[in-house]
Amino acid sequence: MKKINIIIALLLSITVVIGQEKGDVLIKNGTVLTVTNGTLENTDVLIRNGKISKIGQGLNAPSGTKTIDANGKFVMPGIIDAHSHLALDAVNEATNPVTAEVWVGDALNPLDVGIYQALAGGVTSAHSMHGSANAIGGQCETVKFRYGEVDPDKMRMEGAPRTIKFALGENPTRVHGSGNGILPRTRMGVEHVIRSSFQQAKEYMEAWDSYNAGKGKKGFKGKAPAYDLRLETLADILKGNIIIHCHSYRADEIYMLMQVCKDFGVDKLVFQHVNEGFKVAPELAKWGAGASIFADWWAYKFEVYYSTAYNAAILTKNGVTTSINSDSGELIRHLYHEAAKSQKYGGLSDDEALSLITINPAKQLGISDRVGSLEVGKEGDVAIFNNHPLSIYAIPMVTIVDGIVRFDRENDADDMRIYPDPEEKIDVTHWEAEDHDRCMQNTEFLFTNK
Amino acid sequence: MQKCDSLFRSVVLTLLIGLTPFISISQDNDLKPVTNKYAIKNATIVQAPGKTIKNGSILIENGIIKAVGSNISIPADAWIVDADSMFVYAGFISGMSNIGVGKPEESDQRDDRKLTGNPTDERAGITPGNSTRDMLNKDDKSIGDFRKLGFTASHSVPHNGMLPGSGAIILLGGDNSDNMIVKDQASMYSQLAGANGVYPNTVIGVMAKYRDLYRKATQARDYQKKYDANPNGMERPNPNKTLEALYPVVSKQMAVSFKAESVRDIMRVITLQRDLGFKMMISEVKQGWDAIPAIKSTNSPIFLSLDLPEWKEEEKEESDEEDSSDKKEPTRAELEEKALQSRQNEMIKNYYTQASKFKANGINFGFSTMGVKSKDFRSNLLKVIENGLTEDQALAALTTTPASILGVSSMMGTVETGKMANLIVSDTAYFSKDANIRYVFVDGMKYEFEAKKKKKKKEKGSGEEAIDVSGAWNYTTETPQGNGSGVITIKGTPGDYSGTISVSFNGSTNEIEDVVVDGNNLSFSFKLNMGEDITVDISMDIDGDTFEGTLSVAAFGSFPMEGSKEPNK
Repeated sequence: MKKINIIIALLLSITVVIGQEKGDVLIKNGTVLTVTNGTLENTDVLIRNGKISKIGQGLNAPSGTKTIDANGKFVMPGIIDAHSHLALDAVNEATNPVTAEVWVGDALNPLDVGIYQALAGGVTSAHSMHGSANAIGGQCETVKFRYGEVDPDKMRMEGAPRTIKFALGENPTRVHGSGNGILPRTRMGVEHVIRSSFQQAKEYMEAWDSYNAGKGKKGFKGKAPAYDLRLETLADILKGNIIIHCHSYRADEIYMLMQVCKDFGVDKLVFQHVNEGFKVAPELAKWGAGASIFADWWAYKFEVYYSTAYNAAILTKNGVTTSINSDSGELIRHLYHEAAKSQKYGGLSDDEALSLITINPAKQLGISDRVGSLEVGKEGDVAIFNNHPLSIYAIPMVTIVDGIVRFDRENDADDMRIYPDPEEKIDVTHWEAEDHDRCMQNTEFLFTNK
Repeated sequence: MQKCDSLFRSVVLTLLIGLTPFISISQDNDLKPVTNKYAIKNATIVQAPGKTIKNGSILIENGIIKAVGSNISIPADAWIVDADSMFVYAGFISGMSNIGVGKPEESDQRDDRKLTGNPTDERAGITPGNSTRDMLNKDDKSIGDFRKLGFTASHSVPHNGMLPGSGAIILLGGDNSDNMIVKDQASMYSQLAGANGVYPNTVIGVMAKYRDLYRKATQARDYQKKYDANPNGMERPNPNKTLEALYPVVSKQMAVSFKAESVRDIMRVITLQRDLGFKMMISEVKQGWDAIPAIKSTNSPIFLSLDLPEWKEEEKEESDEEDSSDKKEPTRAELEEKALQSRQNEMIKNYYTQASKFKANGINFGFSTMGVKSKDFRSNLLKVIENGLTEDQALAALTTTPASILGVSSMMGTVETGKMANLIVSDTAYFSKDANIRYVFVDGMKYEFEAKKKKKKKEKGSGEEAIDVSGAWNYTTETPQGNGSGVITIKGTPGDYSGTISVSFNGSTNEIEDVVVDGNNLSFSFKLNMGEDITVDISMDIDGDTFEGTLSVAAFGSFPMEGSKEPNK
């Protein structure tokens, strides 16, 4: 009985770091994989007030600073996942083919224990995305995994550029075309929906410009165009204020969207999944579009059959900024394995492979000046592994976000939930499997009683 | 004789006419009022939290408190309520509820799937032009249910949708719906509720739509103002009912009353408020303890929910029963289960200590009663007091604070001369365990209640005066998945019941188990196959041939059900 009490007391004493967002930490004598400046043996990394202040040998920190002995361990930038639906209470507003005005940043759930599980995979940042039900879906949110905070604002990566989800192919045509009998029913329809949305936004913008130009004039009696949050958002895309992240598989539709964007002067474009990206790698490189892909995940629907595990290598060698993403609460826990696959299949160098899950996704999200590599001045987001992260024996040991240790394998309590469900029935023999693939969440009702 | 006859007739007529309205009011089978003057004598009067008069009396006349004190003169024609050893409080005010507001029937109309993304405002749950005043039903059962608990006024809001309509402050009693209204247009009720199957369907859709509507309304109102000042040469504004109903909100004349139960929803409504700048009250707060700093920063008034998760008593240690030598070491599964249980209990405790945490942080709050079942209200309140809220603080949260938040302090919230005669008389101090409410006055109208007889301690299986429940019972229930119905068939004799329940959700008929009859309460459970087996618990309070009850599913919550017995064939 006593033993039980001690265990319970221990469990109750788990306090997640609350209220603190930036910290100091000194990592000693590790093999430092900077990603952008090569590998440094026996090197220290000092993080002060959440930022990397020094990288070098024999560094000192003020007494009392948390120090981690990384002797024999590997220190790399925190992993960044360019495609995630983790910690969201809603993924798809699937009721309309265009929902540019919605924003998954409104649905963040900082209490999702999946965040902690992702931290245990060395991940420090993710791109929380709207799903792929709509041709133009909602705006996404770039988050940092500051697990332990309850305020969703503290999850947001403040100042990260705005991004929006687009989707081509089977998902939007299935939901709206087959599901509701409206546009888009075909790939041509998807193109039409995007083009006409851009056109409306252009006209909206022009109407406002002309209203604003006249407004100051004497005796002006004009009426402003009716405010519309959807068109406002689309106009922001045309103005270059929002990066498009487009769900896509086939080469023809990838090429199509590049043409559409070119026609409307949009130059911030990243393709997601891009399983046929290898077919249009030179075109992607020339256009300057990014590609965020799976290492070797395919054949889950017809448009994803023509795929190859060499995709990452082919895209990289063609000069496309390429990343490997998870799109899953499970895969996010071993993105380092996914990056390593590009070495096995495509023979990428260590730095090229690590770039797929660090600096490249950072570039695709417009945050590469802040995270994605270990450089002085960058944010203190670090993952420490017992082995080289591209080794099959790699185990993440410590994950640090803004200089605060958010995961430590040595102090990894059994129950890391922040808000246990007060009403759930406790049954340790029952394990409810999570639904890992959330891309089409909140669309189910559209496939019934047609 | 002739003369006498007509006099007699006119007296009878006057009496009848005079009595008619009273007859229709007295639903709680109390004495019919023959006077509009009442005197409550020799009671302990809690005038306001912390302000008590011993052996005082209160004189009520025409719905107003005429005098309060230990030495007031009582007119001869006043009806005397002898309240020796009783306690008087100001009537409770619910900070937000649906009391008195009927739930609109859901239409079974099939949607045109082509309009999923562009439904009518009404279909989308956007009806800010609706009002509690128009939807009030004086015969709604909730009015009596909550009055019985001591509530005399409520800030009642309409049901359904993200913008269901405007709320009103109502009295829990009155001879017609209109004269129950104390203050119309008291708030614009809002909730983060998606429209079923159409835009905006999810929380992200609702929040985007809220921003869109608010900014559209602001723009339209500004243009209308200019147009009204001088329309010459200006394009005509586009009339739009929805946006016009929001003008008082964007002009900050009317506060938004936002329902936000979970910490996530609380943070979301705060995000919206910061984006748009409306005046806000946050209601039905269940999980707000970690959101206290954010709530404080918005300066929004708060109503806490009393709909709390079931309290679980800590298991007693049996360690001193015997020597530990022959005790088995617990298995890992047992340890894990115990640890999980312990964390769950800690979590549950947070819900009960929330109120005292808000107090400790200097936040005044009222209680809202939208979610709490009337039968749980008092026990939950007492449990919250056990967990750190003082009785005075609890009383303030039910009287003075909601009165001040809702802007009716000059009318209600205390027992003072000149205030509306909204009073509770309980047979002992209200917050003591055995207290019974004996009288409730609403606007000077007396409602009388019997003291509950102490229940004898029941022994299981004794079947103490249990009613015979056998027969076929039709039921209907409302769940988020839609309305359900079916038949409960009970066979056997008291102490040995069995039976079946048919369920319209999946067209199944299921064996029932654990049938317990306790007085007039029948409870049982059954397994329903919805892909996997889920256990459904049913509790029915039977009153003759009809019943009301609840249907609960562990992970999904409880839903109301009602029904009646099929006549024996």
